[in-house]
Amino acid sequence: MAEEILLITDDDQPIGLDELLDASGLVHDDVIELVAIGVFQPLGTTSTWTFQARTLHQARRAARLRDDFGLNAPGMALALTYLERMEVLESRLRELESLLPRP
Amino acid sequence: MKFKDYYATLGVEREASNDEIKKAFRKLARKYHPDVAKDQESDHKFKEINEAYQTLSDQEKREAYDQLGRHSPGEEFRPSPEWDSRFWQDGVSQGGGSQGGGVPTGAQTIDLADLFEQMGFRSVHQGRSGEAAFSRRGQDYEVATTISHEDAARGSEVALDLGVPEMGRDGTLHRVSKTVRLRVPKGVIDGERLRVAGRGAAGIGKGPAGDLYLTIRLQPHRLFKAVGHDLYLEVPITPSEAVLGGDIEVPSLDGRLTLNVKPGTRGGQTLRLVGKGLPKRKQGSGNLYCVLQIVTPPALSDRERELYQELGELSTFQPRLHLQDGPKGGQSNG
Repeated sequence: MAEEILLITDDDQPIGLDELLDASGLVHDDVIELVAIGVFQPLGTTSTWTFQARTLHQARRAARLRDDFGLNAPGMALALTYLERMEVLESRLRELESLLPRP
Repeated sequence: MKFKDYYATLGVEREASNDEIKKAFRKLARKYHPDVAKDQESDHKFKEINEAYQTLSDQEKREAYDQLGRHSPGEEFRPSPEWDSRFWQDGVSQGGGSQGGGVPTGAQTIDLADLFEQMGFRSVHQGRSGEAAFSRRGQDYEVATTISHEDAARGSEVALDLGVPEMGRDGTLHRVSKTVRLRVPKGVIDGERLRVAGRGAAGIGKGPAGDLYLTIRLQPHRLFKAVGHDLYLEVPITPSEAVLGGDIEVPSLDGRLTLNVKPGTRGGQTLRLVGKGLPKRKQGSGNLYCVLQIVTPPALSDRERELYQELGELSTFQPRLHLQDGPKGGQSNG
């Protein structure tokens, strides 16, 4: 058993475009289009784009949707928007359910 | 290893065209994809479907699979020596062991998916001699762990068992159980995904290592229900406590707290205890919401019944007055 204790990667630190591409499997054109559509919100100018760490989770999901369903960038954008909306609603539902007496 | 019928998994004929295979996969993915369905059964099903598709959608892997011959699902089999020499490419291991600490467990064998994953078909195109020609980023490891609310609140350390296929010196594949320990910081919430960069599978050639992703699941708590960093607690109170008010004790993650119930409290009313929920990563905490529910005693003593009767006769309270407005109705007490 390894004695080393792994630490999670600091998710306060923004990640660079190269890291986003490498770690997600998206290609450069996908990212450019997803930024243009407004799903990803980079910091900095085009040549120095960095992204919030949470963008990586969105990007991996986008790549998965692309690979498994053959979605193009607008399709990925729409699916991501719906999925995130669903997560907000699911959380709201859990909140409201918590206000009801247990059956 | 055990045989799996990938064609049956996708519900297609062995002669199916690439297009038919893709369509069958998409149709099943629409139902079982982890971004669509959240239950464990679908997750398991999608893994099977995906494994079948990854093999059958790749021309060479499909050919290799077809050449394994027909077996019944679950039947133990070994690829023939001819198959071995024709399809097996050595030297394309995941570069196992470089991170140390792996504990080989002989009892675990590899399955068909590992075989195809590791066969390195793509290296064939790079030329057999050009070992530096092919580089690929290592795979990401995705694991999930379940932790208690208390551990989420104070941070914890989890041991993750990564079942990693590795090629041994003799050229055979083994599934190696590799345990890594990971520090989970305080403040994680249910469904959160943590990343450890560079601790996935080692890269092939000059490719970098993949990442390790850990999904956090909060174990259901006997008392609290977590929504993000907020906790909800159902607090039963008696009819007299609701009417007269009073101080009651409630549990929280760090000890018992006193809650002041105001006279005339209604059922379903929620009292917020600021900062008594789950701590956040950096600073601050969620809230603890106490949802008051007025409960009636399951059985009454004779004396209690008498007193309730007396109270009922004495009381002038008319809670249903608004229902007696005649045929118009439709009022809501929202």
